[in-house]
Amino acid sequence: MLELSRLSKRYGEVRALDECSFRVERGRMLGFLGPNGAGKTTAMRSVFNLVSLDEGSVTWRGMPVGQAERLRFGYMPEQRGLYPKMRIGRQLAYLGRIHGMTAAEASGAAERWLEELGLADRIGDPLEKLSHGNQQRVQLAAALIHDPELLVLDEPFSGLDPFGVETMAEILRSRAAEGAAVVFSSHQLDMVEDLCQDVAIINHGRVVMAGEVRQLKMDSPYWVIEVEMRSADTERLSRIDAVVSVDFDGYRHRIVVRKGGDLSDLVSRLDLGGDVRHFTFSAPSLSELFREAVVG
Amino acid sequence: MTSWQAIRLVMGREIRERSRSGAFIVSVVLTLLLVAAVLFLPLIFADDDVHYQVGVVGDGNQAVIDSALALANRPGREVRTTVEVIPFSSREEAERAADTEEVDGVLMDGQEIVVRGAGGEAGGALERLLQQGARSVQIEGLVASGAGEVVEILTSAPLEVRSLSGADTDENSERSLIAFGGLMLLYMAVLLYGSLILTGVTEEKTNRVVEVLLAAFEPWQLLAGKILGIGLLGLSQFVGTVVIAMVGIELTGIVDLPEFPIDSILVLLLWFILGYSFFAVMFGAAGALVSRAEDAQSVVAPISLVAVAGFFIAIQAVSNPTSTLSVVTTFIPPTAPFVAPVRFAFQAIPLWQMAVSVALMALTIVVITRLAGRVYLGGLLRFGSRVKVREAFRSAEL
Repeated sequence: MLELSRLSKRYGEVRALDECSFRVERGRMLGFLGPNGAGKTTAMRSVFNLVSLDEGSVTWRGMPVGQAERLRFGYMPEQRGLYPKMRIGRQLAYLGRIHGMTAAEASGAAERWLEELGLADRIGDPLEKLSHGNQQRVQLAAALIHDPELLVLDEPFSGLDPFGVETMAEILRSRAAEGAAVVFSSHQLDMVEDLCQDVAIINHGRVVMAGEVRQLKMDSPYWVIEVEMRSADTERLSRIDAVVSVDFDGYRHRIVVRKGGDLSDLVSRLDLGGDVRHFTFSAPSLSELFREAVVG
Repeated sequence: MTSWQAIRLVMGREIRERSRSGAFIVSVVLTLLLVAAVLFLPLIFADDDVHYQVGVVGDGNQAVIDSALALANRPGREVRTTVEVIPFSSREEAERAADTEEVDGVLMDGQEIVVRGAGGEAGGALERLLQQGARSVQIEGLVASGAGEVVEILTSAPLEVRSLSGADTDENSERSLIAFGGLMLLYMAVLLYGSLILTGVTEEKTNRVVEVLLAAFEPWQLLAGKILGIGLLGLSQFVGTVVIAMVGIELTGIVDLPEFPIDSILVLLLWFILGYSFFAVMFGAAGALVSRAEDAQSVVAPISLVAVAGFFIAIQAVSNPTSTLSVVTTFIPPTAPFVAPVRFAFQAIPLWQMAVSVALMALTIVVITRLAGRVYLGGLLRFGSRVKVREAFRSAEL
């Protein structure tokens, strides 16, 4: 288990991290969310000692993280990059070796990964000869080459086409299933909701919400009613006591209501006679939890 | 993984990838062509004739000169050697003539050679010519008297050579050769490999691979591996070139290789390593501050300037190895690698000064490697415009 506890870091007047704490469990995936500039990259870098923290500690299985521990971690930085002129097979093998693999293990792993990513025939090509999408695949293999126990990925889905997204998601899922702890940052909340059991939401360097996605949804003080009906008076609906907000996208109304509020007034005003094409009553989506946590 | 394993991995990659690159192979080929040109062009454009003016005093000189000429012009030699004999009535007169270069050398009583300075081309070649002549005369005399003393004569000392500038000619010329050679070598290595390290570091930052590397390595391990890798590759290229040149010289016989004093070579090597390390660390840290090659020149200017200053102070030390400037700069780490070996070559540095200077230098390297590691980490993860040293230093307080 990776645990970040009370990390603080200032850059001059800017508080990049302000007592930021969360944990990543083995065998699970955690989505690390937050608006731009919230401190996601700084927090992820601190796992690899790339940031000198003012305060706080990073531990792995209860032990402070040192160079030996970091060699068992895999990292994909936000700023992607490998050696453009180095052949991809040798390059991956080198990255395996710097994480403590023997030469034979590393070149075996490089071959296996290139095979799995469909790049086996390009093993002797320099990186710069590959298409953008294939370079991204090599970058992922670079983070995974040494079978890390912990994967830290900064925006792994950005810049990928739908096939790339699918491959990436599949690989992350299988790594977690094999017992690795996985944490990645993303702005694609639907994807995070789909993939992750856990989330941590950071804003202004502080974790404002963290935990299991299902539990967070259950704990939310709201329900969401989504209804597609012939006609409704948005204005009047939003004046009802239990209703927090009403959105209409041209087809459906999305009505957020307070948990435990009296809904009879609302139900009586919904035009549910005959022509209802859609009606759901559910916990809020991750997007709504995110907005709630960040905007308040 | 130990630090040494980490350093070796980085070093190995530098050496393998660099030695495969087109630029490196071209530079090796060009260097070899240059060496070949330097070695063989003089043979192609060699002078047809050699002419010496030799002053003579006393008797027994003509026999030596005749045998020397007979040897020099023996059948099969393409170059004709001629000697003009100028008799002098006294030693003083003859020496004055040698000193003003009126004559190339003076032969006294067939027993002693006087040349003007040390290692001059004409003087050196003439000296060898006359030595051969003298030896030949001795052997002829021996053969005529019955061969009883062959062994004694063959093992007897050559004619005594006296230089008018005073010092022991051979040793002095070799020492100044070492001092100059070492100085040039260090200077070139610092500027050449320094800039390779600079661009190597900047490249890793530009193509962003550095963050992946720093996640596994400590910054100083990465820097040290890079410096050692580029240093070893450069040094082996340098040594290889020198060895090939020496072999070429032996084969073509265009110059006689002197024997170098071993202590001077060891001291030179020690200071070469210290000096290279110091400047390499400085260049590495400088490279971390910029994201683009275009910005690199502005950060290295101050470092190059220090190297240039060290070089010129050392040139000054060749003629004034004990001047105040020479002594003071022996204790200033950035200039010491240039000045100290020059002073040593001329035996003009007390042991304690050498020891203190080496210790100071070693200490400085340890300290700046740590500081540079900090600047390196702070600079490497800040992309875009040039990073100020102080900012880089602050943002990575380790």
